[in-house]
Amino acid sequence: MLKVSGLEFSYEGTKTKVIKGIDFHIKKGEIFGFLGPSGAGKTTTQRIIIGLLQGYGGSVEVMGKERRDWGQSFFEGIGVAFDFPNLYLKLTAKENLELISSYYKNKNENIDLLIERVGLLPDKDKKVEGFSKGMKMRLNFIRSILHNPDLLFFDEPTSGLDPLNAKTIKDMIIDLKAQGKTIFLTTHNMTVAEQLCDKVAFIVDGNIPVIDSPKDLKVKHGSHTMKIEYYDGKKTKTEEFHMTEIKNNQRVFDILKTKDIKTIHSQEATLEDIFIKLTGRELV
Amino acid sequence: MRILNALRADMKFQFKQGFYFVYVILTLFYMIVISQLPNEYAKYVVPIVIFTDPSFVGFFFIGGLVMLEKVQGVLQCLVVTPLQPLEYLLAKVISLAVLAEAAGFAITLVAYREGFNWPLLFIGILLTSIFFTLYGFIATNGCNSINQYLIKMLPYMLILTIPTIIYFITPSLWVLQLVPSVAGLNLVYGAFNGIALVEAVMYICYLVTLNVLFFIKVEKSFMKNMVKG
Repeated sequence: MLKVSGLEFSYEGTKTKVIKGIDFHIKKGEIFGFLGPSGAGKTTTQRIIIGLLQGYGGSVEVMGKERRDWGQSFFEGIGVAFDFPNLYLKLTAKENLELISSYYKNKNENIDLLIERVGLLPDKDKKVEGFSKGMKMRLNFIRSILHNPDLLFFDEPTSGLDPLNAKTIKDMIIDLKAQGKTIFLTTHNMTVAEQLCDKVAFIVDGNIPVIDSPKDLKVKHGSHTMKIEYYDGKKTKTEEFHMTEIKNNQRVFDILKTKDIKTIHSQEATLEDIFIKLTGRELV
Repeated sequence: MRILNALRADMKFQFKQGFYFVYVILTLFYMIVISQLPNEYAKYVVPIVIFTDPSFVGFFFIGGLVMLEKVQGVLQCLVVTPLQPLEYLLAKVISLAVLAEAAGFAITLVAYREGFNWPLLFIGILLTSIFFTLYGFIATNGCNSINQYLIKMLPYMLILTIPTIIYFITPSLWVLQLVPSVAGLNLVYGAFNGIALVEAVMYICYLVTLNVLFFIKVEKSFMKNMVKG
């Protein structure tokens, strides 16, 4: 669906490369997380793929064709939700969606259903200027999927949302994947990436040092141990066991049989720990 | 058709932002004032009002429209839809030309009691409105707020209004006829006070050529200046 090879980019008037020869590919039906701190090159890469920045080096093959060879019909096949809500403030929620929908060949006949899905049905005839940031973000999100595109770009899709609404959006992203949609997710929220992505790429200073699935990264870079916390009288004690020893370690079974267990945790690293370990940078 | 949808969207946006309301009030004001004037003055005052006001709608309103769309982030959203820059620009140019024509003819029909050359008035308002809309587009380049645009539009306006005023006082300075605003004024003025056919055709050809060149320039610079700027 998307294949990026040796991508390089410098902004006009500067010689400094902000993207320094990156490679990655995304298969159809995959959720690909593009993770990195501010200024790492996430948005620049996304804008190159979308076509808002021209003059790149290397190759960006999208939906079977080099990006620079696509015309305006490219936008019939993609949907983009930016990280800030860009809506007509004086129009109502429904008017905003109808207006944008009218520019696509594939017009959405069930706009109300989408509005309902993100909990905005009671507000559909209200002007957007009175909406909270969270409401605008939800409207912004459904606007990007109105025309049923195959390739979606979501930039910080849960930014500004409360946990309940963030879950609604994450569930919708999972549903889109189930429908076979391909999703390019730009974020610096490691929890969202861990929950949603099949694969993640870490981008730092225009380079991608790591691409892998969150699960594999956690296994590869975790300590591969299990920690048991249990009550010993009034005290709480902790013991740690290597995963490979558990099945033959009598001490593990003794604790489980004789002690009141407080917690049991495998000690794989979080995605954030791995990011810091591999890139030497924090996600700010 | 996308262009029709873009036109409908633009008119809705202009209506909701209150542009039409302001303009109706202004047009009514002009109608009332001009209808109080004696007939002998009306044939001078009406073309000047129609030229300076409805024809300038393009310039005044386009900045407001583009900056509102830019500030609300709507331009960012539009460029990732199949809507082409050409269609976007055409919708703006047409919607503002319709507004200029409606106001120009409303003022004339209500406040002017003599005969006038309506096809020439139509063409004069149309070409002037298109020119000023595209000129206003160029003035919005690099502006990120309405205040920035208001400051920047002043020199742009003066470049055209000063030669027009000088020409009005001393029409013998023929070189000023090359100023696009003077060409537009002469067409509108000619619709009420008569103009030689050759002269009218020359002004029309001149403004059509300028408008085409400006359109190409604005379309080329659209992505760079409007979206990424």
